[in-house]
Amino acid sequence: MLVLTRKTGDGIVIGDDITIKIIEIKGGGIRIGIDAPKDCKIYRQEIYEKICQENREAMQWQLDDLDVLAPSTKKDK
Amino acid sequence: MKKILTRFGEIEYDPANLLHFPAGLVGLPTLKDFVVMPNKKEGPLFWIQSIDDPDIAFVLTDPTNFFLEYRVIPEGSEKEILKIETEEECYVLSIVTVPPDQNITLNLAAPILFSPTTNRAVQVILENSTYQTKTSLPAIDDQEKQSSSA
Repeated sequence: MLVLTRKTGDGIVIGDDITIKIIEIKGGGIRIGIDAPKDCKIYRQEIYEKICQENREAMQWQLDDLDVLAPSTKKDK
Repeated sequence: MKKILTRFGEIEYDPANLLHFPAGLVGLPTLKDFVVMPNKKEGPLFWIQSIDDPDIAFVLTDPTNFFLEYRVIPEGSEKEILKIETEEECYVLSIVTVPPDQNITLNLAAPILFSPTTNRAVQVILENSTYQTKTSLPAIDDQEKQSSSA
């Protein structure tokens, strides 16, 4: 991983169309501004990874599971 | 018609009638084309089978059957992916997760928007919302209350 040191107000350019700017550093948090093309999706990493994980879990199923909510196959209990 | 061998057996499909995800799914960018498979029995669940990876399929459902207030408005870039002009041209679907105990959950945090007119779809992440990746179905009592008050 490339590691750079930047100060408040400094920026980083990635490719020709993505710019990241350090807006503010305060109390252990860093505010970052990102300029990127509209079709370039930007997510907080932990949220993105949670969705990836859920998609992987959602692949694990069997054909019988489709009938879990079917009224005709509900067990009478 | 074409055929693929999936983990559920051989499936015949019309290549001109696939559900197309131009961007793939989140974390799965190579999964671009799916066959929509109806559920043979009655019930709200159906599934989509990946053409790009025959081992991968997802269970989907219309979340508004369970969560009457659930709405997802496409952003401009999503409308471009779907090739639609207005938000009325697209519908929302949820990916269903089936755990071993079969108490299914819906991923309301990352729904699928799809347009029946263009056969295109996109999975979106609702980052600034309180929706959860594992949302249990409302209890049947709650559903009845919701529909009777609506």
